[in-house]
Amino acid sequence: MLRLTACTAALLILSGAAFAEKFSWAGTTDPQTMDPHAVNSAPVLGFLNNVYEGLVRRGKDMAVEPALAASWEAIDGGAGWRFTLREGVKFHDGSDFTAEDVLFSYERGSSEEADVRSWFAPVSEVKVVDDYTIDFLTSAPNPLFPDSIANFMIMDSGWAEANNTTRPDKEAGNYATLNANGTGAFMLANRQPGLTTTLTPFGGWWDTAEHNITEATFTPIENPATSVAALLSGDVDMINPVPIQDADRVDQRDGTKVIRGIEARVIMLGFGHDHDTLKYTSDAGDPNPFLDVRVREAVAKAVNVDAILQTIMRGSAESVSQLVSPAMRGYSTAKADRPAYDVEGAKALLAEAGYADGFSFGLKCPNDRYLNDEAVCQAVTSMLAQIGITAELDAMPVQNYWPELREDNFDMYLLGWSPGTFDHEHPIRFLVSTPNEEKKLGSWNFGGFSNARVDELLPAIQSEIDETKRQAMIDEVTEIYQSEHAYVTMYVQPLVWGTRDNIELTQRPDNFFLLRWVTVN
Amino acid sequence: MVTYIFRRILQSILVLLVVGLVAFAMFTFIGDPIDNMLGQERTQEDIDRLRGVLGLDQPFVVQYVKFVISAMQGNFGVSYEQGRPVAQILAERAPATLELAAVSALFALSLGVVLGVYTAIHRKGFVANLVLTLSLIGVSLPTFLIGILLIYLFSVQLDWLPSFGRGETVDLGGWTTGFLTSSGMRALILPSITLGLYQMTLIMRLVRSEMMEVMRQDYIRFARARGLSERAITFRHALKNTMVPVITVTGLQLGSLIAFAIITETVFQWPGMGLLFINAIKFVDIPVMAAYLMLISVMFVGINLIVDLLYVSIDPRLRT
Repeated sequence: MLRLTACTAALLILSGAAFAEKFSWAGTTDPQTMDPHAVNSAPVLGFLNNVYEGLVRRGKDMAVEPALAASWEAIDGGAGWRFTLREGVKFHDGSDFTAEDVLFSYERGSSEEADVRSWFAPVSEVKVVDDYTIDFLTSAPNPLFPDSIANFMIMDSGWAEANNTTRPDKEAGNYATLNANGTGAFMLANRQPGLTTTLTPFGGWWDTAEHNITEATFTPIENPATSVAALLSGDVDMINPVPIQDADRVDQRDGTKVIRGIEARVIMLGFGHDHDTLKYTSDAGDPNPFLDVRVREAVAKAVNVDAILQTIMRGSAESVSQLVSPAMRGYSTAKADRPAYDVEGAKALLAEAGYADGFSFGLKCPNDRYLNDEAVCQAVTSMLAQIGITAELDAMPVQNYWPELREDNFDMYLLGWSPGTFDHEHPIRFLVSTPNEEKKLGSWNFGGFSNARVDELLPAIQSEIDETKRQAMIDEVTEIYQSEHAYVTMYVQPLVWGTRDNIELTQRPDNFFLLRWVTVN
Repeated sequence: MVTYIFRRILQSILVLLVVGLVAFAMFTFIGDPIDNMLGQERTQEDIDRLRGVLGLDQPFVVQYVKFVISAMQGNFGVSYEQGRPVAQILAERAPATLELAAVSALFALSLGVVLGVYTAIHRKGFVANLVLTLSLIGVSLPTFLIGILLIYLFSVQLDWLPSFGRGETVDLGGWTTGFLTSSGMRALILPSITLGLYQMTLIMRLVRSEMMEVMRQDYIRFARARGLSERAITFRHALKNTMVPVITVTGLQLGSLIAFAIITETVFQWPGMGLLFINAIKFVDIPVMAAYLMLISVMFVGINLIVDLLYVSIDPRLRT
C-alpha cells in the first residue's frame, strides 16, 4: 500500500513536470518568517513581496508606483496623506480588500511586537474615510511617507482574526509565521522552514501577470560552493549571490549566465568620534588621533578604493563619495568625487596633525556580513601601513560583531548601509545624526559623530515638501559629513546573481528578487 | 550488579549535566541572537525588551538551570529563528539524518568487508595495493573537499546525480523518507559515500588485518587439507570469525556517523539535524543548539552505557 502511494506520488510529480514552467531558486538565507510585520530584514521582506502587497510598490527602476492604492495625495497643509484604494482586489482566500484591512495592518505593523513599527513613527492617526479611502495623518508634514511604506504589506483582517494572529509574535510564533494570505501575484503553497518554500501563481491577482511560472520553489543553500554547483548542474534556475571569485566561471559556462548590478549598500569605515583615547594595541590609552579631522582625511586619502574594486571586487563594484549611491533619491551632485588616492598628501596631513611617526590602533571588521569584508579590511590595513599608521585587524562573525560595536569596542570599524527608504535622509537619520534614544535617531551611529547643524537640518529635511529646498539642505548635510570625514565611504557593494540561460528576470538594487518579472523560456 | 548499573546510570546523568553546562557557558561567546532577530531600524528599547523576553539578560547559569528544568518536563523551548518548538523541528529533521547515517553505515560495512577480504587475500596484488593507497588518500582529504569533488564530478560534469537536497520524499505519518522515490534514492548516493568513506576505510583495514590473522590459524590450514574450496574457506570459516570486532566497531561508529554528519549535510544542503545545528550557530539560536547538543550527548552516553553493561554481562569478573 505504501509503495503504491509512493508510486502514485512519483507519477504525479513526473506528469506535472512535463508541461509546467517550474522555477526554482536558491539563496543563502531562509526567510525566518512568513509574517510581513514580524521581522524587518531584507530576506523576509524581499521574499514576502511576492506574496503580500503594500499600498504602493517599487517598479523595476525602484520608482514608487500604485499597488493596492490606486492613487494618493497630500492632505492640505501637510497634515498627512490620503490613499484611494483599488477596488475589486481579492486576498488569496477570496475575501475582499477594503480600508479595514489597511487600518488593521497599520495597527498590527505599528504594535509593540512588530519589528517594522519604525516606519510608522511619523504617523499620528489613521482614519478610514470610506471602504476605499483611508487617511494617514502625520505629526509633521512628511513628503516621503508614500516612499517609506513600499514594504508595508497588507494582511486580511478577517483571516488574521479567525486564525488568532492579530499581532505578530517573533519569539513564539503564531499562525502567520507559517501561513500567508496576501493579495500578491503568488500564493504560499507549502512552507517548510529552513528547507523549501513553494509558491504558486494567484489566479485572482488584480494586475496582469508578466511571468509564466506555474510553480516556484525556494531552497536556502548556505554553502556557496554547493549553490554554484546546483546552478551549474541545473538543479536550480537561479542563485543569489554568486561568489565574486566564481562569477566569471559561471558566466563563461554554457547554459548559465551572471547578472551583475550595484546594490544600494554603501561600505564605509567609521571612527570613534566620542572616544577620548585609543582602546587597542600598545598605543591604548593615548589620546584618540581620529578626533583630529586631518587624521580622518589622511585615512580617506590613503585608502585606494580603485585598487580594492579591481582586486577584491573584480571590477564589479563602484566607488562612492556619499552615504548613498547615485541611484538613490537625494544624492548630492554638488560633491560627487571621493578624496583622491594620495599617499604623500595623507602623510603631509598626518605630519601636520602631529603624527608624523604614525600610531597604531584597532580595526574591527565582520568576516561574514558583506561581500569579502575581511579581505577589504586586510587591504585597508596594508594601505594605511603605507602612510605609517598600523591597524591591528580583528575580524569576527557578524553575531559577535554588532555586540562589540554596541559596546564601543573599536578604534575604527567597517560598516555597510543600505537605505531602507532609498533616500539620502535614511543614512543621515541612522548614521550621522547625534545618537538619541528617545527620538530614535542615530541608532547605528556607533562612533557618536555629532554635529549641531546636521541635527538641526534633519527634521527640516524630513518635513520639507519642496524638492529643491529639501535637496539644498541635504547638500548642506552632505557637505558637512564629507568635510568632517565623519565616515570614509568606499564603494557600493555589487550584486552578482547567477541564472540559467533560459531565464529572464529583473535585478533590483535593493536585492529583492521578484517572481512576477521572471520568464522561463 | 544492580548497584553497578545504578552507579553507571548516575554517572551518565552527571556527564550529561556537565556537557550542558559547558555548552551554555560557550553560548555566551558565540554572539548575540538579538541582531539577527531585529531589523536595521531597531532601537535600544527594542533590544532591551527582546533580551528580557528571551531571558538573555540573566547569567548563563540561570539560563542553563531554566533549560534543564523545562527540558525535564519535555519542553526544549522555541527556536529563535523559526519561532516554533525545538522538539518539533528536531523531529522533522531527524529522519533525514538517520536515513543518511543508515545508508552510510550500510555502504561502509558492505564495501569495507568486501574490500577488506579482497585486500587480505590478494595481499601483494596490484589492485589490492591500489585500493589501500586510494583509501589512504580518501581518509586524508577533509570531508567537505570529498563532497565538493563528488558534486563537481557527478553533478556538474556528468550530470548523473543531484547536487543537493533529499529529492522527493514521502511522508509516512511524521517520518519523511527518501527510500520510496527514485529521486530520493539518487539523492542519497553522494552524501552517503562522502559520510561513509572514512568508516569504510576503517572497516576495510580492520577486516584486512583480522583476516590475515585468521588465515594463519590452524583450522584454516586443516580446512584446506580437507579439500574445501577457497571460497568456502574465506567466507564460511575465516570471515565469520572476523566479524565480531567489526560489528562492535560499526555499532560504535554509528553514533559518530550521526554526530559528524554536520559537514556532509552542509556540503549537500542535506536537510538533517547537522545542517540545522550549523544554521543555529550562525543565527545564535540557543534553544536549538542546546537541544541538539543534549540529544547527541544522550546518544553517545547511551551507547557507552549499553556497551559497558554488555561487558558486565559477558565478563563475570566485573560482577561484584
